[in-house]
Amino acid sequence: MAVKDVSFYVHAGEVHGLLGPNGAGKTTTLKMLLGLVRPTGGLFAISGTPITPSAREDVGFLPEQPYYPTQLTAEEVLTLYGRLSGLSRTQVKERAPELLEQVGLQGRENVLLSHYSRGMLQRLGIAQALIHRPGVVILDEPASGLDPVGQRDVRNLILDLRERGVTILLSSHQLSEVEAVCDQVTILNRGTVAATGSIDDLLNVEGQVSFRVRGAGDSLPVTIADSVSEVAFAGGEWMFSVSSGRVRATVDGLYDAGWTVVSLAPKRDSLEDYFSRLLASTSEEVVL
Amino acid sequence: MIGRILFIAGAVAADARRRKIIWVVVFFAAIMAAAIPSLPSYGAGVVEAVFREVALTLTYAATMVVTLALAANRIPSEIERRTIYGLLTRSVRRWEYVVGTWLGIVLTVAAVVAAFCAIIVAVGWIAYGEPMLVLAQGGLAIWMEAAVVAAFCVTISSVSGPVIVSVAALTFLFITHVRSSLLAPDTIAWRLYPSLDAFNVIAPVAHGSGVGVSYVASMAAVLIGWAGALLVISVMLFGRRDL
Repeated sequence: MAVKDVSFYVHAGEVHGLLGPNGAGKTTTLKMLLGLVRPTGGLFAISGTPITPSAREDVGFLPEQPYYPTQLTAEEVLTLYGRLSGLSRTQVKERAPELLEQVGLQGRENVLLSHYSRGMLQRLGIAQALIHRPGVVILDEPASGLDPVGQRDVRNLILDLRERGVTILLSSHQLSEVEAVCDQVTILNRGTVAATGSIDDLLNVEGQVSFRVRGAGDSLPVTIADSVSEVAFAGGEWMFSVSSGRVRATVDGLYDAGWTVVSLAPKRDSLEDYFSRLLASTSEEVVL
Repeated sequence: MIGRILFIAGAVAADARRRKIIWVVVFFAAIMAAAIPSLPSYGAGVVEAVFREVALTLTYAATMVVTLALAANRIPSEIERRTIYGLLTRSVRRWEYVVGTWLGIVLTVAAVVAAFCAIIVAVGWIAYGEPMLVLAQGGLAIWMEAAVVAAFCVTISSVSGPVIVSVAALTFLFITHVRSSLLAPDTIAWRLYPSLDAFNVIAPVAHGSGVGVSYVASMAAVLIGWAGALLVISVMLFGRRDL
């Protein structure tokens, strides 16, 4: 069984990341959500309404590695999916150019897909998922196959959709992408939910504060040196963390030594570190 | 609902049009049809009948090749290439997809049969100075049988790949055409035997004056019964399949 006892909520208007290693059950979960795989039990609902084909009218989906008949053009693909989503021919004609521009395919609408690169097909996949202005968008690896500029465009597109109130469920291996755009994440491992919550709640290290400081000298001021940990130096700036109770004393110590505090924030794990640690611990639990 | 079915059917037909197989089969069938008058003559009054019989046999063979080419791999390839996700993750029901796919294949085959009929009528007219419009009845019967075969292929392909579908379809064609060899007519077993013989109108079309309206209506009833039953089974099988 690929998935068992998976429960999570995606609140309206948020970007929710679905993470997990290969075989964790992410794609199976999305497929169940979309009616492609029949669950043996449980319920998927949008605004309390169980997901039926009718309820899917408000859902847009980008599959991982989308494929389209190569004899078609982007315009024909959007017409096909737009019409199947209930749009009239006129509505599709109005919507397609703005969408193609949004995903960076303007001017390529009449090129056969056999001449499209992997990244262009991915962009077209995003366009077809949005053709009917869905309120809920499910994206499976949206940045897959895209170059760095394309990945940035997708990230901006996701943020733009969130601003417009669209609810997004995003499955991705690219943790930096998830960290940049998601409000909440659910981490799956071996078909179960290993962790779920807001990015801040999951990644903030309780009781620790991170500093970035700049100053003269090749070491930190002696007055604070004993109370800091995880010290690093890069780009002319020092980075370290201190316990929450030592923040005031550290700032005073830096000020007295003539140093400048560049930034001060709750200490945060990288998602990569958190993810690796979580998977290691849940795997141990399974072994035990 | 009807709109979605017709739209899927249109997409299937448009996709089929872009495939070379149809045009290749039509091209070679046209060459063979043009060559039929060069077959040995059997005497005055018989040669036209021989032409009609061979022309319909050729049309039947070419139509079945096209039907198998279109129907055996349509659903399996959509699943393999995942183009089906773009359809079924919208408001399209699975049964609408199955029926739309079948309808698209049937419409495409109708166009192919119409093209064959036009070719053989034209060849007959040129060769014998006689339009032989009765061949259209044979074409209609062949198209109806192809529609049943397409429904069978769609049913099997709901749960299987193209090779198994093709073998199963050939077996289906064989089994449904041997009733008269196996059973005595008008017995209970004869009536219950699954048969497509109703669509075999080569004899009355080639050697007689064709079939009447009531017989065409009975063929339509057989088509509806077969295709309806097969599509119901297909929808049930496909509805339970994980994609």
